[in-house]
Amino acid sequence: MYFKKAFIFILILFSICTFSQKKTIKYHSHFFEKIQSDYYYKNKLLEKTSDFFLQQKWDSVIVATSKVTDTKNSKTELSYFNYMRAHSFMLKNLYSEAQTEFKKIPSDFLFYNKVLYALSSISLDKSQFIKALVYLKNIEDRGITSMDDIEDISFLNDLGVCYLHLKKYDKANTYLSEYLKLAEKKGNNKELADAYSNIANLYYEQYKDSIAIAYFMKAYDISKKTSDNEIKRLTSTNMAVVEENRKNFRKALLYRKESEKWRELVYDQEKIYNTVKLEKKILEERKENEIDILKLENKAKSFQRNGFIASSILFLLLAITVIYFLIRKNKTTKIITLQKEQLSLLNKTKDKLFSIVSHDLRSSVNLMQRSNSKLIRNIENENYNSLSTIANKNALVATTTYNLLENLLNWATLQTNSTYFNIESLELSSILKQIEFNYRPLFEDKNINFIIEVEQPTFIKADLDSLKIIIRNLLDNAIKFSPENGTIICKSEVTNQNDLVNLNIKDNGIGMTAEMVKQLLASSPLLNKKQNQQEIGTGLGIQLCKALTTKNKATFHIESTINIGTTITLGFPKTEI
Amino acid sequence: MENLNILIIEDDKELALELSEILEDYKYNVVAVARNYKDALTKYYQFNIDLVIIDIFLGDNPEGITFAETISTVPNAIKPFLFLTSSKDQQIFERAKLTNPFRYLLKPFNELELLYAIEMAIEKFYGQINVFASKTEDTVIAKEYLFIKKKNTLKKVNFNNIIYIEVDNRYCNIITEIENFIIQISLSKVYEYLTQNFFKQVHRKYIVNTDMIEEISLSKNSLLLKNNHLISFSESYRDIIKSFSILK
Repeated sequence: MYFKKAFIFILILFSICTFSQKKTIKYHSHFFEKIQSDYYYKNKLLEKTSDFFLQQKWDSVIVATSKVTDTKNSKTELSYFNYMRAHSFMLKNLYSEAQTEFKKIPSDFLFYNKVLYALSSISLDKSQFIKALVYLKNIEDRGITSMDDIEDISFLNDLGVCYLHLKKYDKANTYLSEYLKLAEKKGNNKELADAYSNIANLYYEQYKDSIAIAYFMKAYDISKKTSDNEIKRLTSTNMAVVEENRKNFRKALLYRKESEKWRELVYDQEKIYNTVKLEKKILEERKENEIDILKLENKAKSFQRNGFIASSILFLLLAITVIYFLIRKNKTTKIITLQKEQLSLLNKTKDKLFSIVSHDLRSSVNLMQRSNSKLIRNIENENYNSLSTIANKNALVATTTYNLLENLLNWATLQTNSTYFNIESLELSSILKQIEFNYRPLFEDKNINFIIEVEQPTFIKADLDSLKIIIRNLLDNAIKFSPENGTIICKSEVTNQNDLVNLNIKDNGIGMTAEMVKQLLASSPLLNKKQNQQEIGTGLGIQLCKALTTKNKATFHIESTINIGTTITLGFPKTEI
Repeated sequence: MENLNILIIEDDKELALELSEILEDYKYNVVAVARNYKDALTKYYQFNIDLVIIDIFLGDNPEGITFAETISTVPNAIKPFLFLTSSKDQQIFERAKLTNPFRYLLKPFNELELLYAIEMAIEKFYGQINVFASKTEDTVIAKEYLFIKKKNTLKKVNFNNIIYIEVDNRYCNIITEIENFIIQISLSKVYEYLTQNFFKQVHRKYIVNTDMIEEISLSKNSLLLKNNHLISFSESYRDIIKSFSILK
């Protein structure tokens, strides 16, 4: 008796096992739909893990989920990860790990029924029927929805089997009959055979042998119609056991033989299945290898391409830098050449200035020496009459030489920009009077009539010392080129345009041609050749005046007619009052 | 009217003498000639000085600038001054410029240039430029003095000596204890600079030195001033008189 029961027990267990494994793989459509709609493109790891799961790569799922951390994922995401991890453990027959993982999932998880169902399956596998029953009852209480993807049939079957093993035959009967009804309704022969077998077992357990045998027979008959060797083997084995118990050994033997046949077939089938699976696997591996090779090739190609692009960019940059530096070098060379030209011009001017100035100085000093020796000779000869003329001449030479030196100094300080320069409000007529004060002897010497026609007060803006230098130079020139008894007039006029005060210094001296004026005003200090030793200067004075008027933001203008005279006009900014 | 007191700081004896002669010619009072920095400081505080003429170089060092810097650091001690220099060297001038307001005279100079420089120095120091060269004004108002240009020279009048001022258009008649004279000054300047301290306007035409008031007759609206000057004051300025009399 014990043997029989054990046998049946194994049978039932076996059927459950085969069933539940297939179930779990098949029925996850809602689960993954949910993941896809909620988390694709959002959670890369979840996406990857579910892909592995769908491809039934359980190891990969376990590896992938081991990386999951609480911090990065929400509670719900964690539940998904836990479920997939636990499920994978379960299918790897690592039941205790699976159970711990499943138990981590909180009961508010959307697919908690699936969790419970999986837990019940594990308990069934471990023959812990009470636990399994608790889980299943829990599912029943919570109610099965379409979301759970749990088939009523198998659920009922599981419940029935539990009760059966717990020897609660009434309840087992209820559930198993319901299962049978559903199976009959569906008309699936395999399920029907299974249902009949289970009910038969139920009756058989209760020693209601006649009813049980009828059901066993029914199961056997129906199993014939199916193509499933396993169920055929089961029913025939059941029949064999039944016949054996009825001491109908001949029949039992027949059934046993049949069951052996089916078992061999199942075995063969499994063998074939395994071979095919192996082949498939090898093929897949080969394909994967090919893919890997292709990937590597692609990688190498892209690397090559990238390398090419990078090197070309590098070359371009190099070329640009080279060009840039070349252009810069070119520019600097140009600037240097320009500066060199300017410098050499300046140097030339300086040399010329030097030669003329030294010539001037030498001739002046020479003149002085000669007249001095003349003076001494006259004193020796006691010819006192001509002494005063000679002394006066000497004084004149000294004055012009002093002026020359003064201008030279001013020019030098102007060039080096080393003098203090301060434009302020000045009263023009006072300044003209101050200058006139020093020129009185010179005017008297040539009997020149000097007239200041500047209204007092006339306020202008200028630097005091440079203004004096300008006016002194112009007066020097005017005196130099004026005849005896000439007239020099300083006259101011206020112009409305540009708010300038014009100062005219007018003489009735020898004048200049337009050509000479142009030459005098030329911006490069082209120093005039000495045409007339006595009268024509270096041009340094005028250059100095021009430079200083510019510095004073004043205007400088020459108007001259030969033999009539020269008028030089200076325009100074007015002082705003 | 008094002459201006001038201190000359110059180590060159000849130049100092020449300067003194020119200044004396134009009725300036050369109170002392100092030859070095120390000497200059002593004399500067010893006399009541109106203007200092400073040679930048005393010996080989620009001690003149040091002197100017020294008197500039003491508040209220600074007086108008004028630098004498033979070079316009930028570096020296940068230093001299710091002792503002600064005025300089380039050697060699003639007497007209010297006089012009003195006038400019006074104008610039008291912040009233373009006064002495103009035809409309001849007076710069300082803290205790009026500096007035008479012909080619400058004179000063102490406020304490003025009894009252009669304003008449562009002219002001200054009545002092010993003399009367007319100055040219813009009215706005008179009101701006003069009436702040001990001068009060009592009439459209009169500005009175309050120290000189001897009697106030409110019934006649008149004031009796020192030297028996009797002037009237107008109603519109009565408040000033009132506040003044309460104070007294």
